[in-house]
This record gives sequence, C-alpha cells and structure tokens, in this order.
Amino acid sequence: MSRGISADGPENVLDWLYEQGKQRGERLPEFDVEKTLSRARAARDAGAVNFWSVLSPTERRAFESAARVQTFPAGTTLMREGEQAGEVIVIFDGWTKVCLDDDGQDRVIAERGPGDLVGERGTVPGNVRSATVIAVDTVRALVMTTTDYATFVSEHPGVPDLVKKQIYDRLIDRPAPSGPGA
Amino acid sequence: MSPQQDPYGDAESLFRAAYRDMTRTAYALLGNRADTEDATQNSFHRLMMAWRRVAGLPTARQQRAYLLRIVTNEALQILRYPHRKWERSIGDAVEQESSQRSPDENVHAREYLRLVWTAISELPGVRQEVVVLHAAGYEYEEIAAQLGIRISTVRSHISDARQQLSQAVRRDWEGAQE
Repeated sequence: MSRGISADGPENVLDWLYEQGKQRGERLPEFDVEKTLSRARAARDAGAVNFWSVLSPTERRAFESAARVQTFPAGTTLMREGEQAGEVIVIFDGWTKVCLDDDGQDRVIAERGPGDLVGERGTVPGNVRSATVIAVDTVRALVMTTTDYATFVSEHPGVPDLVKKQIYDRLIDRPAPSGPGA
Repeated sequence: MSPQQDPYGDAESLFRAAYRDMTRTAYALLGNRADTEDATQNSFHRLMMAWRRVAGLPTARQQRAYLLRIVTNEALQILRYPHRKWERSIGDAVEQESSQRSPDENVHAREYLRLVWTAISELPGVRQEVVVLHAAGYEYEEIAAQLGIRISTVRSHISDARQQLSQAVRRDWEGAQE
C-alpha cells in the first residue's frame, strides 16, 4: 500500500493493519518463554515491578483522566527536598535521579524511570518532600494533585496496598521479600 | 495440535500454552522485539495478580482468551502512550512503509494510527478481541478457533467494527486537525 494511511480513509485502516500484522507474523522473531518467565520472576523478586504495571486498565484510565501530561526538560527539578508536597508523578518516559542534600552536595540515592510513581510520600497531608527529584533527560509524566490522588485511591481500594508495599520496599532499601505463595 | 480443554491449574502452564499466540499478537501490534518482550513480561505479572479470577474460568479456552486480552492491553498501553516506546514501534512501522513521504506526513500517520488503536481499545468485549487478532494478521478461521466463536460471528464483528472505527477515527481525526 503506497498511499498514506490516512489518505486511504478510515474504512480501510483495518485492512492496512491486517496486512501489516500478517507481514510481521511472517517474520516473527524467536521468543523464549523460559526467558520471559525468569525475567518476570526476577523483576518481581527484586521489587522492580513498578506502580503503573500493577494498575489494572480501569485504574490506569481513571488515573489518566484525573492527571495532566507534563514534560520536564533535562535538568529540571520535579520536586525539592523540604518543600510542601502538592503532587504525585508517574513517569512515562525518561529518567530522574533522586537526591538528598548532603552538606550542600546532592547525593544520588536512587533512579526512577518509566512506570515509577514518585512523590508518593507526599500523599500524606502536611508532609514535606523527603528528597529532591531531578530530570536526567527529557521526562514525560502524568502529574496529579495530592487531593485528586486521595480521591483516586479512595475510589480504587486495591491501590493503597500496592503503594504502601512500594514505599516499604524503598524504605528498607533492599529487594522485596516474595509474597506468600510466591 | 489439540489445545487443552480443562482449565489450567496454575498460571505458568497457561502462560506457556498461550505464549506463542501472545508473542505473535504483541509483535503484530508493536513491531519490535523489545516492546513485545515488555508486553509479555508485564502480562505474566498481571496474570499472577488476576490468577484467582482466571483460575475460576470454566474452560481453558476462556483462560487463554483472558490472557490474550491481558497482553493486548499491555501492548495497547505501549502503543497508546506518546512516549519513546510508542515512537519507536509505530515510528518504525510507519517509516518502513512510507519512506517516500515527508516527515510531516509521517507525524500525521503516527498520530492517525494512535487514534485507530485508541478506538480499537474502546471496542466492547469480544469485538475488541476479534479486531485485535484480525489486526494481528490472523485469518477469520483462526480467530474463530481461538475465541471459540463461529466464523460468521467473526465476520459480523469485523464488519460492525469497521463502521464503529471509521466513525470514531473520523471524528477524532477531524477534531485533532481543527
């Protein structure tokens, strides 16, 4: 199909997708189920399963509709240690470094990237930021006010445990223990 | 190959049995290996979280359909997002098939495909599964066998979806151009 997709009109877009899907099916690379499983287990055991990936599609949609998309250029401060917390952030693209002030020097304590929730401790009213978060490259993120986040959490009761677990994992700063039956 | 009929008793057996269809579907949507890996890996995690529910499904086929829906959601999530992964996957696909077009047209094509996939992700229930498998290059017979429905049902879902998609996409596309 040499013409533009949109020029062909929406009636034919399904045919275009089918052709593309067929072509891709013919050159499907080899995938190894054992590798996928061992990677998935390793990610779980390391507590590397991130916030976004544990939300259900419904929860993701609800989160998206209450949040705004924001781009932070490299070097921008997303949140600063000691400031009043007003927002939580889910990163979609790009990486950030989490720093603590160490006698006037920034000491990097962690990195946060796609799928990670940052600023979750600020969801407790009156809390101040416990660390500074700086964009390492261009960061695109969903930003939600703590008030909206509180509403989101109250409407999706499965979420708080996940976040508590994530906070706990980070506080103890070592791999998460496997859950019961895991 | 005659697929198992009794429901799977554990998540890993189900995952192994459905793995090839999962990777084929995810790859058809995403067009690159890394994203396909991400989508299937995340799906395993989602399956574990939903296992109690999936274990209660009466047939193996329903369990496989459920898992296929999980992987589709994960793949659509990667596609729908205006972030790097999306740029990479859709970008590759569009650029391969439209190298003669101007960069401006490619941006339009990307945006257009994103609208299409968003519209697909909003189709109800089994229709979404039918359309996703069709878009993944499966033949009607394969889709019918996969989902345990008649070929005529597959055909009518696709024909109705064509209408729905063209309306949704036309509306959103024209809205976006204004």
